[in-house]
Formats: sequence, C-alpha cells, structure tokens
Amino acid sequence: MQYELKTQVIEPQRHTFTHIAKRYGDKPASRYLEGTIDVQAKEHFHYRPTWDPTREIFDDSYSIFRLTDAYSFLDPRQFYYAPYVTARAAHHEAFATSLKYIEDRGLLERLSDGWKGVLTELVIPLRHLESAGQLILCNMARFGWGASITQAAAYSGFDRVGNAQVLSRAGIALGGGTADLLTEAKQHWMDDAALQPLRKFAEETIVEADWGVALLQLDAVDHLLYDLLYQHLDDEAVNNGAPAYSLISQHMSSWFDDNRKWIDALYKAWRADPELGETNAAMLAEHGGAAVDAALAAVTPFAARIDELLGAEVNAVDRITTKAAEVRAAYTGEQA
Amino acid sequence: MTLAPEKKSKKTKKLSMKARYEALTRGLDWEPSYVAKDEMFPHLDYEGIKIHDWAAWEDPFRLTIDSYCKYQAEKDKRLYAVLDGFAQGQGHLSLTDASYLNAMKVFIQGVTPLEYGAHRHFAYLARHFAGPGPRFAALCQSIDEIRHMQTEIHTLSNYNKYYSGMHNWPENFDRVWYLSVPKSFFEDALSCGPFEFLIAVGFSFEYLLTNLLFVPFMSGASFNGDLPTMTFGFSAQSDESRHMTLGLEAIKFLLEQDEANVEIVQGWIDKWFWRSYRVTALVAQMLDYMLPRKVMSWKESFELYFEEQMLGGLFEDLAFYGIKPPRHVEDAIKEKELLSHQVYWTLYQFSFAAGFTTTAPTDEHLDWLSQAYPDTFDKYYRPLWEKEKKNIENGGRHFARGLPQLCQVCQVPMLFTEPGEPSVLAQHESEFEGEIYHTCSNGCQWIFDREPEKYRQAWLPVHQILQGNCGGPTVPDVLEWYGLQDGDAGEYIGSRDHKNWVAWQGEAAADTAAPTEKAGA
Repeated sequence: MQYELKTQVIEPQRHTFTHIAKRYGDKPASRYLEGTIDVQAKEHFHYRPTWDPTREIFDDSYSIFRLTDAYSFLDPRQFYYAPYVTARAAHHEAFATSLKYIEDRGLLERLSDGWKGVLTELVIPLRHLESAGQLILCNMARFGWGASITQAAAYSGFDRVGNAQVLSRAGIALGGGTADLLTEAKQHWMDDAALQPLRKFAEETIVEADWGVALLQLDAVDHLLYDLLYQHLDDEAVNNGAPAYSLISQHMSSWFDDNRKWIDALYKAWRADPELGETNAAMLAEHGGAAVDAALAAVTPFAARIDELLGAEVNAVDRITTKAAEVRAAYTGEQA
Repeated sequence: MTLAPEKKSKKTKKLSMKARYEALTRGLDWEPSYVAKDEMFPHLDYEGIKIHDWAAWEDPFRLTIDSYCKYQAEKDKRLYAVLDGFAQGQGHLSLTDASYLNAMKVFIQGVTPLEYGAHRHFAYLARHFAGPGPRFAALCQSIDEIRHMQTEIHTLSNYNKYYSGMHNWPENFDRVWYLSVPKSFFEDALSCGPFEFLIAVGFSFEYLLTNLLFVPFMSGASFNGDLPTMTFGFSAQSDESRHMTLGLEAIKFLLEQDEANVEIVQGWIDKWFWRSYRVTALVAQMLDYMLPRKVMSWKESFELYFEEQMLGGLFEDLAFYGIKPPRHVEDAIKEKELLSHQVYWTLYQFSFAAGFTTTAPTDEHLDWLSQAYPDTFDKYYRPLWEKEKKNIENGGRHFARGLPQLCQVCQVPMLFTEPGEPSVLAQHESEFEGEIYHTCSNGCQWIFDREPEKYRQAWLPVHQILQGNCGGPTVPDVLEWYGLQDGDAGEYIGSRDHKNWVAWQGEAAADTAAPTEKAGA
C-alpha cells in the first residue's frame, strides 16, 4: 500500500543540458554524464602556454593516442567526485580495520624473516613507486584531452597517494609504530640492486612527456607487480602462514582490479575509434609491447630477490615472465 | 650508519600526529639518479623564481587520504540529499523571482568552466613542483575543483529543466562575447608557469578576491530562496578555506625562499589583482541589479571584503616581506561607486545577444540604488533609467545597435571612465609592432604593455564576429552559432521564464487557495 502526496506537477522545458541531449536525446541524464561530458573548453583558446608555445592550452596532441570524440571514452565506474570519494572512504576504512586486526593480534611480529624481508626490502619501498605513479597520472590529468580522461587520471593519481599511504602505514605498523622502516625502505629504494632497474624505469616514465605512452609504461609495471605481490604472493602467504601479508595484500589487489576498469575502457575506446582506431591499435601494439618488455626487465631482479627471500619454489621470476607474455599478447594481438 | 632492528621491538616511541603525517607524506621524494633533476622538473626555472628548500613548505592542513575521503564523502552525502529534496518538492517555485536565476546563468556559464580549468592546472602543479608537500596540496585542490564544477552543475541541473539560459553553458563559454571575460582571464593563468599560476589563482583569485567573486553568488542565493546553491556554497566553504590557506602559504613560501622572488611576486600581484578585479565587474552588476532581494551593494561588499579585510589586514601582514598593495588599487577604489552601474547599463543594452535576460530596475529598486550610492547614482545613472522608463512606456525598450569595442586585456566592452572623472570614457592605446591595441584602463594598459606578445593573441569575440568567424554576418546567425534558444536572451519581462513563472505561481496560488475555499463552502 502506498500513500499519495499531492505535489504541484510542472512540465519541464527540457530534461537535460543541450550538449548531453545532442548525444543521448532529451531525457534525464546521470550525474556522471552531466558532470563530465563536454565540460572541457575546446576552442578559441586565447593564449599559447608560456611553457610550450607550439601547443594550445588544452590540446589533443600531447599524446600520440587520440580519440575522434574524446567522450567515446567513459569511466565504466561512472566515477564523478561524490561516488569516487565515497568508494575510497570505504576502501581506506576497510584497510584500517584489517590493520587494526593485524596489530591487535601481533600478526606482523609473527611473520617469518623471509616475509619480513619481502615487506621491508621490497614492498614498503614501493611507496616511492606509487609516488611516481602520482606524478605520471597528474601529468595525464593536465595534458589529457577531455574531462572523462582527465577526471579518471586525477582520481587515479590521488589513489596512488592513497596506496603509498597504505604501504607506509603497514611499514609504520611493522616498525612498531615508528617511521624507522620507512627510512630503511627509502635506502633500499635508492641503493638495492634488486630495486634499481625499477627505480630507473620509474624515473624514465616520469619524464615521458606523452601521457598515453607514460600510462602504458606505468600500467605494464603495475600488471607485473600487482599480480606478483598481491595475487601470487597472497596465495603463498595464505598457504604458508603469513596472514598479515594477505590481510594487507587484499586491499592492494582490490584497488588494482578497480583501477583496471577505466584503463581497460580507455584502451578499448582507442581501438574502437572509427577513424583513429587502426592507428591507435598499431601504437598500442608497438608502445604497449615495448612497455611490457621494459617492465619485465625492470621487475626481474625484484622478483629474483623474492625467490631468494622466500625460496625458489615461489617461482616469482616465472610468474612475472608468464604474466608479461600474457599482457604483451593483449597489446599485440599475438599468441603468448 | 648501523641498522639495529632488535632495538625497536622493545621500547617503541610512537609517532606524534605531526610526525606520523610527515612520515606518510614527506619521505616519498627522492633525488633521481637515472634522469637529470631538471629533466624531471623542467618548468621551475624559467619564471625566475628561486626555491632553495622545498621541504620548508608547511602543510597548512595535515590531511591524509583516508580522512580526506571520509570527510568529503560525508559532505557530499548531505549536499546531494538537499539537491534531491529540492528537486522532488519543486523547490524552485519558492525563489523570490525567476529573474533571480539570471545570476545563476552567469554563474554556470562563466564560473563553472573555471573550476574545470583549475582542476587541470592544479594537476600541473601536482606534477611540476619539486616538493611532495605542495604537490599533494595541489592534487587535493585539483580534485576539489572537480567537486566544485560537478556540484555546481548538479545544483543548477534542476533549474535547467525549467528555466532558460543554462542549457548550453560549455559552448557558451567557448563562444559568447561576455564570457570571454572569465575565459581569457583563466586561460591567461593556465598559460603561465607553475609559480605565476599559483599567485594568479591560488593567491589572487582564491584568496585576495574570493570574497568578492564567490561569496556574493552564495549570499545572493540565500537571500533569494535558492537553497541548493546556498547549500553548495556552505559545502564548498571548507574546501575554499583550504585553498585560501594554500594560497597564503604559497605566497609566504615564495617570499621566504629568496629575496629576489619579492620583486617577481610583486609584479604578479599587481597584474593579477587588476586582472581578477576586472572579472568582478560581472559580479558587481549581479549584486546591484540581478538579485530581486538585495544582499548588500557592490560598494559595501568592496569596502568590507577588499578594503577592510585585504588592504587593511592582509597587506599589512605582507608588508613584512616587502610586498606593497597592488598597483592601480586606487583606481579600483575610485570606481566602486560607478562600476556596477556602468556594467549593467551596457549588459542591459546588449542582452539581446546573451545567455541571460535583463530588465529596467523598478522604482523601488532605483530608490535602493540611490540610497546605496548617494554620491553617484542620482547624478549619473538614475536619469538614464528614468529616460528608459519613458522609452518603455512608449513601447521602445532600448537595445544597442552595433557591437561594442572590447578591451584587449580584460575583454569587457570599453565602458569604463577615467579614475575620478565619471563622465570621461577611458580609451587607452598601446602600439606594438605597428598595430594599435585598445585597453579600458590604466590597469589593463599596464598589463598589456608588460606582455604585449601575449595579449595580442587574444581571441576577441567582437573582432571575430566582424571577421565572419562566428556563424555569419547577422545577429540571428551569431545567436544560432552561440547555441542560444528562444527565451535565453533579451528582456526579462514577457520572456519565456517570466511567463512560465507567472503561470506556475498562479497554479501554486490556486492550489493553496482551493482547500480554503472548500473549507469555507
């Protein structure tokens, strides 16, 4: 049974904005669409940038990857600001709950030396890699073309700061509430042979001016590292009595799965472009393939160190090699 | 250096809140070894600013990601609940008058796109600053600006369904003549390097003039029954106070880093004060003419928010660093009793080509203006409106013919008068590489002469119309190219919004009256 409130009925003059209606018809549109579609200025820019007078203030030539219609890419998560921060508030709260449990039960102290070594030497230093991700995605948020792209990039850049803080909080917890392990982790990042190729890769990707190419490089290294650390090693942790690792790892892997959604949708939009799709696909094969090869080289010493710390039966190097072939094939369309 | 892991397991000294925040955010940077540092941060030298120690940046807000997300999510939940309730209950019918929405039309067309631009260039700062503290603050602001853009769109989306003028704001922003005022202003900032942008937007726009630019719209909303916009304004307030603090921290940081920065920063303050102040011309007319229920006059607002709070407060503090009040500030003060009247009189005549409507002030409104501007209104402007009243009575509401000449810098039509001489139209000329460029004031001419190679590039809408780049030679051609629809432009009385408003109010009155009659029967 429902009761009926009497309200004044007024016929709307229109159901959404003109630029939304032109694409989807004059019907009520979602807040994601109204807050995203066509909101970037696209013509009659007044002045050339002082830092690059060859381009416009917003310009689609900051990457070799282009779309005929920028808004053929939409974030499948439909993240405008409100749902984005709401989702992330829940994400960080869930992590805080796990961390509290880990601390209450003293789970970090109970890790074997091998697992402690993995965290201290290899995982916590990746807060610096997350920080590199922040720079790379901020570059994309500035130089991308169209609000659906710049918005997703800005959120993902913000996520990277969040990831760095998740790793840092794990480091502080493992360090008994001090920042000692973060200081130590930075030394590993700066000096350890196992991390130098990765740091070199990060630095070179930060200075890559083409935001599309830089995204492919960051994504290639993410593919290998997130799969290795938060899928493969998560299984190892569960099987080998390292629950603290698994409890942290689940939050990193759930973030990775979520983050994949917009990136995969962007690749899909690049390929599906009616005019530029073929060019984009060729460049995805070329630059995506090269990025995976470079990322594999950068991550191999890192994976080898895991095999040293946890035992060769962990097969970390094999795992990234297999994963790299799989990701490479997705770019090139060739069989792995 | 020895690593002694055993030691810390026993007696641990937990981090203080501040130390914990710094551990989470600060240690993230490293000196690159595989690329050169100036390759990683290539835009930090060319503006002449010297930074010796990025770590000296004090984070005004120690926000970690988890607390940021939690706090912002809660604010958005409350805001969207208000928007939903307002839409469901046809809240727009409780506005003071449909003409109030002209202020919001100017807002979505002219301010909302700037929020998006700010998102982009704060991302640039978040990429290009060489210190993690300011980079994180800039990244927060970059996504805050997305929030502001979207909450503004979502707030006004419901009005767009029932009223004219808001439906095509992005294209309006790129094309319509008076919107090149905010557009060129913001693109001027977007084309700057990281430090000038920080002073332009972070300091001048967000701090120095924010109470003049932003607050009048929100206060106007609260006085005129616009609950969603008012709620949006309150909801944005805590973000804005973060941004204001960032702007203030930024200027202090630059001034403290190197003595040679002072002169450069002073030049930017001089430029960006006048540049931002000229954008407030649109706000001034909104406050004095577009709000059915008045909040305060532009003059009062200028005196309180600028003369008292900024000149009296802020610049006294900045004097410590050798910073002087902005150049040409005296001209702005002399203009405070003229500005809104000169601007509205022009917009009134050109609203046939605008995304809002205008109307002549009522007698009651004229009396309010006389009272608010005792030294100027009766002398210079009331006679214009009294004459216009006669024109209207004779069926001849005045619209301008022809196109106004625009200032090469601020792009406002050349309608201003010389400081202290309210009847002398200001017409300034500069020559650059054999061409003459016109500016509206000492301030704009000074800005032009400082960077003529920049301002000569301006896309001046009137020039573009005359060159045939705006849809065609006739007014209807241009309006079609602007994407304006019937009802968007012209005179308010008799407009589509006005007619609908009267009809809807009539229905509402009938609905309220009906039960009473029945009860009486």
